[in-house]
Amino acid sequence: MQITQPMAETAERRRENLFVRIVRRLADSRELTLFVLVVALALAMSIVYPNNFPTASNMRAVLLNLAPVGILVCGMMLLMIGGTFDLSVGSTLAFSGVWAAVVAGWWGWPAEIAVLVGILVGALCGLVNGLIVTRIGINALIATLGTLTIYRSLTYVTAGTGVTPITDAFAAYGRAADPLFRIQSPFWAMLVLVLVGGWLVARTRFFRQFYFIGGNPRAAQLSGIRVDRLILIGFVIMGALAGLAGVLGAARLNSAVVNAGVGIELKVITATVLGGASLKGGEGTILGGILGVLFIALIENAMIINAIGVFWQGLVVGLVLLFAVSLDRFKTSGRA
Amino acid sequence: MAPRLEINGLSKFFPGVRALDDVSMNVEGGEIRALLGENGAGKSTLGKIVAGVYSRDQGTVLVDGAEIGTLDEKAAGDLGIGIVHQEGSLVPQLSVAENIFAGRQPTQWLGQVNVRAMRDQAKALIAQLGVAIDPALKVSGLSPAQAQIVEIAKALSRDLRILILDEPTAALTLTETEKLFDVVRRLAGNGVSVIYVSHRLAEIFSLCHSVTVLKDGRLAGTRRVAETSTDELIRLMVGRDVHFSRSAAGRKIGEIVLEAQDLDAPPLVRSASITVRAGEIVCLAGLIGSGRSEFCEAIFGARRRHGGSIRIGGKAIDPKGPWDGKHAGIGMVPEDRKAAGLFLGMDIVNNVAATVLSRVSSGANFSNRKAEALARNFVDELRIATPSVRQIVGNLSGGNQQKVLLAKWLAMEPRLLIVDEPTRGVDVGARSEIYRLLRALADKGVALLVVSSDLPEVLALADRIVVMAEGRTVGELPGDGASEEQVLRLATRYTASVAEVRKQPGMAEA
Repeated sequence: MQITQPMAETAERRRENLFVRIVRRLADSRELTLFVLVVALALAMSIVYPNNFPTASNMRAVLLNLAPVGILVCGMMLLMIGGTFDLSVGSTLAFSGVWAAVVAGWWGWPAEIAVLVGILVGALCGLVNGLIVTRIGINALIATLGTLTIYRSLTYVTAGTGVTPITDAFAAYGRAADPLFRIQSPFWAMLVLVLVGGWLVARTRFFRQFYFIGGNPRAAQLSGIRVDRLILIGFVIMGALAGLAGVLGAARLNSAVVNAGVGIELKVITATVLGGASLKGGEGTILGGILGVLFIALIENAMIINAIGVFWQGLVVGLVLLFAVSLDRFKTSGRA
Repeated sequence: MAPRLEINGLSKFFPGVRALDDVSMNVEGGEIRALLGENGAGKSTLGKIVAGVYSRDQGTVLVDGAEIGTLDEKAAGDLGIGIVHQEGSLVPQLSVAENIFAGRQPTQWLGQVNVRAMRDQAKALIAQLGVAIDPALKVSGLSPAQAQIVEIAKALSRDLRILILDEPTAALTLTETEKLFDVVRRLAGNGVSVIYVSHRLAEIFSLCHSVTVLKDGRLAGTRRVAETSTDELIRLMVGRDVHFSRSAAGRKIGEIVLEAQDLDAPPLVRSASITVRAGEIVCLAGLIGSGRSEFCEAIFGARRRHGGSIRIGGKAIDPKGPWDGKHAGIGMVPEDRKAAGLFLGMDIVNNVAATVLSRVSSGANFSNRKAEALARNFVDELRIATPSVRQIVGNLSGGNQQKVLLAKWLAMEPRLLIVDEPTRGVDVGARSEIYRLLRALADKGVALLVVSSDLPEVLALADRIVVMAEGRTVGELPGDGASEEQVLRLATRYTASVAEVRKQPGMAEA
């Protein structure tokens, strides 16, 4: 008795430790946490809704719908790693889409040129954001809040009620689907961007500098990193990605809608933070960001299948976000 | 009659440091008492304890013969003790009147602030100081001198018995300083005791009645200004027992690496020149605010330069940013390790790699393997105490953080390494090790420019000492055989001559 008592205690402590260790391990890697959550959610939904969730058409719809947010998350993650962000992405998206449609639909230029114009318009919007933030030195929140309004207004000025229809050649850019899964091009564009972007941000020396900038901008500057120039480049990339998302969205609908992308910035930032970015900067990966997008997409899908309706969506996504961020408190690597 | 302020056996400990050690002094009503001492002698700490900003660990404080217990800033204010901080405590967005009555605004019905009464009272207070400042103005629109006067008026808004001024003239021009002195004299004439914390000897001679000198937290002596001299005060300020030994071995000193001439980077650097040779350690000494760090930043490209020339190895450079300085082979270890030096949330590997991203990459790819190998080398070479190279730097001790910071700059193999305050917040053991490292670097032929406020450190390290004052390089001493006294004399002589200029009427402001 006297011998077994302490042994039983030790075993119990070991079990506790194992549990704590698992929680810690999960909390340490946001990507792992999210991955487990996404898989668990997908499994649960497959079991609960075997007729609605794991069907080809539902999968296609989910993957296609998350494409624009997924494209934007790549850029937003880069900016947030560098300690800044862009609220104007939704307006940039609409403005670029409308310009591409104007060039193709009204002016009758080739679809290729229109696609290029759309992306360039987006990049230009990003450049303006970046110049305001780095040269004038206005805080990113205020600067991009301003351009959010400005770009949306310019969209209305350019095309009043939108451009519908555009041209079939242009629409093909958003509608082309692969023969096997029959998923349309926005998803494939997103997939390529996530893979290439994920590799670039995780592995290359150039993009690694963003982690230093976000970690401590002053130390980065004094280490000889060109902080302002890199942040400017980050904004241009963000703008170009928003432009691409806008072009693809307009092409898929064969219609440039002036209200495209309203409110998408908050969805993108939610997914980015859920994916491991912090407002202070210096942390996050593209992989985490895309898992965040996937997770939110699954929750939305569950709501739709369940016919709970969109009213509850925000509640669930908000709770999950708060939960994920509070997990950081358990991090082993952080200081108490 | 009891003195206005009586301090007996006051001691204060900070982690690892004895900031004040058994200090006693008396100040009479209407007396202007200077607190003098080198950087870090404990003079600001003493002022802050009397004002209730810091608590005391030992000793008693009596005001007008009544012993006072534990003191916080509010209690001190109620006792009539006011302090004007070095950093300033005003809210720039609010008006002068609101700042003066912060939290105690006169009110009318329903707790509304009575703006008219507040402004009238503020105006009256400022008028007492013999100055006119519109109380409705925002503080952000005031000159530094006006802001100081508002701070004093704020202290005066209560029944003021003791006023502590902590380095009030650091940001003031000559005429502004004179105006401030008039205000202080007027207050003392009304019976307020003034404690004037400063390291500017000239100001003490023109303003104060008496002076208390602190040295390493201890009382070095109290003198009447009329009965003392600059020489005596300097002698009281220096002459410590702590000495770090100089390295005996003679080093081979080579070609000129850095040649900076007449650098002008207003407002803090006006005309500074320096040369540093390969294998030489040059220490840049001077009082706080003399422009040493700013001079180094201008050389490195971290501060905008208006004039002057910089040559590295004979080749003229014009650094527009730190990247240009780095490209020319300059490394700079900044003074503020946490805010400007390290990436505290990142591990040792990434911190070391920050300056040499291209060297730890294969092609476009960042190579974790190469970066880890580099970090491991430095952990061994600099004897950084850490469980692994993947340790988060924020979790290391101060001395080890300082070594990581050095490693970060050694990684780029600089020709010239600027080190600003190499041992700030570092314990004594790590200190001598850092000295060893710096000497080893010089032995390898690196040119070292070390900024330090710690005179024993300067004397232990320097092959040559360059002294700055008021943004100018004012003198040079050989490191061997120099004394603290000589360095301080150079650093303060210039301010003394400025004070002579101040006495001439009609002199234009610098």
